[in-house]
Amino acid sequence: MIKIVKRDQPSRAIFFLTPILAIFLTLVAGGLIFYIIGFKPFEALKFFFIVPIADMYGFSELLLKATPLCLIAIGLSFCFKSNNWNIGAEGQLTFGAIVSGGVALIFYEQEGFYILPIVILAGAIGGMLYASIPAILKTYFNTNEILVSLMLVYVSKLILDYLVVGPWSNPEGFNFPETRQFSDSARLPILFDGLRIHAGIFLALAAVVASWFIFYKTYLGFQMKVSGFSLKTAKYAGYKGKKMIILVFLISGACAGLAGVGEITGPIGQLHREVSPDYGFTAIIVAFLGRLHPIGIIFASLIVAITYLGAETAQIFMQIPKYTGQVFQGMILFFLLASDYLLFFKIKFTGLKK
Amino acid sequence: MSTNLKISNVTKIYPGCVANDNVSLEFNSGKIYALLGENGAGKSTLVKILSGVIIPDEGKIYLNENNLKLISPLDAKKNDIGMVFQHFNLFETLSVFENLIIDSDEQRKSLREKIDSIMKKYNFLIDLDIPVLNLSAGQKQKVEIIRCLIRNPKVLIMDEPTSVLTEQETSELFLSLKKFSEEGILIIYITHKLKEVMQLCDEVAVMRRGKLVSVSQIKNENIESLANKMVGQNLKTIKKRKAKTSSDQLINITNLNFISEDPFETNLNNINFSVNRGECLGIAGISGNGQSELFQVLSGEILSDKNSIEYNKNYIGDLNPQERREYLMAFSPEDRLEQAAIPQMAIFENVALNNFKSSNFFNNGLINENKIKEHSKKIISDFNVNTDNIELKSQFLSGGNLQKLIIGRELITAPDLLICFNPTWGLDVGAINYIHETLIKINEQNKSIILISTDTDELLKLSDKISVIHKGKLSNIMNADEVTSEKLGILMGGGN
Repeated sequence: MIKIVKRDQPSRAIFFLTPILAIFLTLVAGGLIFYIIGFKPFEALKFFFIVPIADMYGFSELLLKATPLCLIAIGLSFCFKSNNWNIGAEGQLTFGAIVSGGVALIFYEQEGFYILPIVILAGAIGGMLYASIPAILKTYFNTNEILVSLMLVYVSKLILDYLVVGPWSNPEGFNFPETRQFSDSARLPILFDGLRIHAGIFLALAAVVASWFIFYKTYLGFQMKVSGFSLKTAKYAGYKGKKMIILVFLISGACAGLAGVGEITGPIGQLHREVSPDYGFTAIIVAFLGRLHPIGIIFASLIVAITYLGAETAQIFMQIPKYTGQVFQGMILFFLLASDYLLFFKIKFTGLKK
Repeated sequence: MSTNLKISNVTKIYPGCVANDNVSLEFNSGKIYALLGENGAGKSTLVKILSGVIIPDEGKIYLNENNLKLISPLDAKKNDIGMVFQHFNLFETLSVFENLIIDSDEQRKSLREKIDSIMKKYNFLIDLDIPVLNLSAGQKQKVEIIRCLIRNPKVLIMDEPTSVLTEQETSELFLSLKKFSEEGILIIYITHKLKEVMQLCDEVAVMRRGKLVSVSQIKNENIESLANKMVGQNLKTIKKRKAKTSSDQLINITNLNFISEDPFETNLNNINFSVNRGECLGIAGISGNGQSELFQVLSGEILSDKNSIEYNKNYIGDLNPQERREYLMAFSPEDRLEQAAIPQMAIFENVALNNFKSSNFFNNGLINENKIKEHSKKIISDFNVNTDNIELKSQFLSGGNLQKLIIGRELITAPDLLICFNPTWGLDVGAINYIHETLIKINEQNKSIILISTDTDELLKLSDKISVIHKGKLSNIMNADEVTSEKLGILMGGGN
């Protein structure tokens, strides 16, 4: 008989092992799916997970995709750790891109060292402004932040659409839905010739370090932690719970906004319709796969980034749609949530007798 | 057909607390039974066992000689036991009728006719097609009762049904209950309101601290005798020495009011009292009469008019808890696990929740972990917390040890005033004694205490002065040695 028993305390080893178990199960299930639709499972998985990062260019692409995922997930970890369910990072990314892109367009004929910092700052502020909407509505009007932040994603995408088709579209662009190219001073420098990896990765690494420091070393982090566990305790301790909620949203928005800056000022250098292939949503998976821990998030962002690359390779070599990548992302989250069950319950084999 | 319900040797033990200790009771239809007791006496546990919500550790339930296996609320329903809980379980946005058909397997049409006939019979006037949120509390309760009646119950259990009702609605409810009883439904009425027991019931069973204290006929009882049984006789063991009362006033509350937007909270109505140095003021009352709100107003979780609280010649009504701590006030809330401490955090992190400027736990916004740990070790040794690992998550401390940690955290800074709310709730005897001795020591050091408690024994033991809170209003302040538990019981039940 198999018996399910509640654990006295969540196991720490299991806490870090379940993400690995989830990835393993995703690979097994993925292989199975490939087999069912008529591919050799091992070969397909190889195309998906190994071929894309087998050379320098592939590795640089991996870092390129992991950068925004990591940055956004770090921001989201502030929200999620304090029980604020911001799922609109995609919108905050888009709005950050709009604001920083707008600023970059102002300087489109100018060069100067001061332009890039302004553009980056504008992106962070844009993300913060956009994240402040669900935060303020939640704290002062009791709205549900999940709904508000999610719906705002579509609003920001439509605003972007309107701008690149209408007022901001490139006058010499033959009506393509894109803006002018930004000047070189408004762009994040490319790190290596021939590769697309850019300086945005340093922003992500800085965010990792900063988030670790804030969470584990500062009074502010302590207050966020307490407010996240129990608003009642925060109130009793005399912390300002509402301000804490707004603050975590602002941090999260700033990170998403910066990811938006990286997307438009890096290799692309202009605003266009598709600034992000749903990085904002995928980063939610990254944050949880990384257990909301800065180091965990770094690894999780690399793993999830592979699914983006793998999907593209699979499309080229196996003629299957690139949306397979999303299937894999979905499976990772699904198996992670499912194996989290093991955190709180253990399975006991009690022999055949009852 | 008559109904006989027998509870036989039921025991339910929670970690650190015996909720029901070998309880045996017998009920027969045609009578209305009261189950009387203070909060935490175990009456809710007992009725939850009857309704299948809680599974007892030991003991059996018999309905008409049949041993019932009640392992889910569905089993209770199948065995014709109906229960109306204190808080309503209704879907606010669905219509009354939709709420009623949800857990019924009858056809819509036949059910509608059945409901109509029930409403006609008992003279209930409710529009079945409007959403439940438009109903008054009394009407919502009727919907819950109808929900039970649809199933032709043999037993109907009412858990503190009048706590949300107006006087008018209460008397309507009593009329209906009497009618049900005449029709052969066995009624068990759970309450701590003595007046209602006298008005409505035929027999009364009193519980205290998980044990059945007495079963008697109402005609042989009066409010005083019931009050005495409910709160227990004065324990005379560690009665505190009479303090040399100083006339040096520490805190003075004048015209304090609080009006809540939350319908489940109690408004505070013109509270006035003062506490001198070295004195313990006890505030008694049945829980839910405004104690929680009073605690929060005193601790600063709820801000009030600046001038309504004068402390040590400062007006502090508009200061938050952290600012009040700087004036040497300390607070120990009722809810250890959800408010006073965070179970998922380590002991030393919990210690850092009570943070003064001078304690240097946080310097320039950074956590000073060494300082906090040093301080935590001192608390653990000074207050006998049974562990030496300050990195242990506090959820692994027993209730008593966690409470010692909390009281220790609040007291180690030598505050002038400690405000505590049910400090010994749910603790075992040893821990209770330790906390009581600690509180007496504070008074001996000429520091003051405001003790809000639902435990009358505790209040009589520790207080110099006692007041009773009822529906958000404080009674006159009495000297503790002139007060008897009967008198407190009557005041707690709203009498004079």
